[in-house]
Amino acid sequence: MTTSSFQSLEEAISDEHFPEVDLALRRGRHVGRDDGTAYDYLVDALDHLEPFYRRFGCELMQRADGYFYLLPSGDRLGRRQLTAGEMLVGQTLALMYLDPATLQHGGMVQRETLLQRLSGLLGTETLVRTLNPRRRKFDERIAAETVRTKVAEALRRLTDLGFIDSVDDAMLRLRPALMRFAEPVRDLSDRQAALERLVRSGEITLGEAVEKDDSDEEDENDGSDGHSAEDDEEEAGG
Amino acid sequence: MPSDPSRLIAALARDRINLDLKTLDLCFLAGLYLRADRASLASFEEDVLIDMFEQVCDVVDPGAERPRKRATHAIQRLRDQRMLARVDGAGIVRSGEYTLTRLAAAVVEYFLADEALTRESLTLLTGTLRAQLAEILAAARRAETEDAWREHVVAPLRITVGDLVGGIERRQRGLDSQQEEVQAEIAKLLQVDWFGAVDRCQSLLDTTTNTLRELNEVLLRDTHHFVALLQEIQALASEAEQAEPEEAVQRVIEHVDRIAAWGGARQRAWSEYYQYVHRYLRDVVRLDPDRALSQRLRDQVANWPSTPFHLLVAAAPSIRLLRPLESRVERPAVMRPRTDREGSPDLVDPEDAGLNIETLVEGALAAGARSLAEVTEWVLPQFPADLRYAVTGRVADVLARITRTRSAIERPWRTVAPRLEVEDWELPREGDRR
Repeated sequence: MTTSSFQSLEEAISDEHFPEVDLALRRGRHVGRDDGTAYDYLVDALDHLEPFYRRFGCELMQRADGYFYLLPSGDRLGRRQLTAGEMLVGQTLALMYLDPATLQHGGMVQRETLLQRLSGLLGTETLVRTLNPRRRKFDERIAAETVRTKVAEALRRLTDLGFIDSVDDAMLRLRPALMRFAEPVRDLSDRQAALERLVRSGEITLGEAVEKDDSDEEDENDGSDGHSAEDDEEEAGG
Repeated sequence: MPSDPSRLIAALARDRINLDLKTLDLCFLAGLYLRADRASLASFEEDVLIDMFEQVCDVVDPGAERPRKRATHAIQRLRDQRMLARVDGAGIVRSGEYTLTRLAAAVVEYFLADEALTRESLTLLTGTLRAQLAEILAAARRAETEDAWREHVVAPLRITVGDLVGGIERRQRGLDSQQEEVQAEIAKLLQVDWFGAVDRCQSLLDTTTNTLRELNEVLLRDTHHFVALLQEIQALASEAEQAEPEEAVQRVIEHVDRIAAWGGARQRAWSEYYQYVHRYLRDVVRLDPDRALSQRLRDQVANWPSTPFHLLVAAAPSIRLLRPLESRVERPAVMRPRTDREGSPDLVDPEDAGLNIETLVEGALAAGARSLAEVTEWVLPQFPADLRYAVTGRVADVLARITRTRSAIERPWRTVAPRLEVEDWELPREGDRR
């Protein structure tokens, strides 16, 4: 017996929340308790929306941590894999989400703390090389600037995806959806087995990400002139 | 004291006001404060100060050498910073007697006094405030003269009511810092004891939540009464055309509004924090009692560059909105309004001023002019002042063409008109001309 207040799919999609929630989910956003009535709507309409989205070849996922997201399994709905920058930043933020020190400030962390944590976890050298796999030589100042740029870009995209909220230029609010990054180590089973299970369910892909060219990304994202510190370095170095 | 904040700040900066208190200084002050409080002392003899310093030194810095000398320095340091004041006025005649200043008392009270808002303290304060306001209202009803208004309404509003409202605000700030401490304590408890701290954290959360709810209820109820009483006093002042009391009441009303707003704002903020912590305890701590997830995740991040994986998310492109269909767009030709651009020429006076210069120059020569200056002087008066400069050049040109001129190596300058000089030429006699 359903507990939904919607009697039919027609009623569910006639609700005023549907257009916005639908667009957000299709764009990859994770809708959580912090989203207020949008989350309540999804809880209420879940029974009708699950089969609805299945017809588009995707699953409407609900997690116990209190968030929803759409997981495409076929080609009917577009999908993308997160970049290396997004993955590293996301996992580090998930780690910070678990830290009781973050609890003291109600889930708020400073961007600067994130950078310190990232650098502490991976080491500066590894961090720079992971975020710039195609570059061979690094100037320390340019490398630091590039890391900051990549992290800022990753944060912007994670904000769009509903993993975090950007409070201001310095502060971020962490959301429960970050726990998706901890999924491979959530249970005590073998990590490799957990990864394989997640690959089978379409949650993740393994291996290097196919990343777009930097200049393409910048053009697409912020409309800047695509002239970065790296380019300067490239030009200077011939 | 200047009332303008900018002037006040400028004055503080000019006087280079600063405080530099070490832990030992603060402990010394606290010891004196408590001693004075318990023994009802108004001041301390120098020996008492030194004795107290030595006691504090034993606790704070047990191995310290020459405590008496350090005490002398500490006393001087505190006097320089206006924490201790000498009150005996005996100078070098005998050893001094000292008292803690208001500044020292305030600093010590901040650290010692438990001034956080509690239901009891708030109820007491609001009750007193209510009684006080009722008295002021009665006085306002009786007041007939300006002095009566000032003495029985304005003064109590500014001092008694101001102090009571200030007391509530001070305790609100105390409760704010207590909340911060609770938040820090919850984080610390979890750091230390993780799963074992859940019940204690829950209890801390609930206690603060209850305190805030109770306080907010009292504030909501009582501030409503305060504002009603104050508005009544304000109406009486307005009726009696007393501007000063009206203004004083307005200030208190604003103060009371601020107090009421504090309650609501803190309860909302705490409610968000409460929910966040509650979810954390339920979803993170209870599901991971051994706190193994953090370590596993830390390892995952560290190893990610060597064994990368990527989350997949939906990424449907935005719906493409097509423009309304327009099969053929008629673009108007570029044009401008027709006008008759072949207008008739304007009639103006002919500019023939230069035409007769040659005639005039010849006339001047015929009249016996013997130099460029004389010819120019003869010609210029025939022309208006604004043309004379140009005419001077043309005269020289004509003269050079129709005669042979001679000039010395150093040609003399001669005035030919006001503010006009020429370098002169001599002219040949009439029979020698071309």
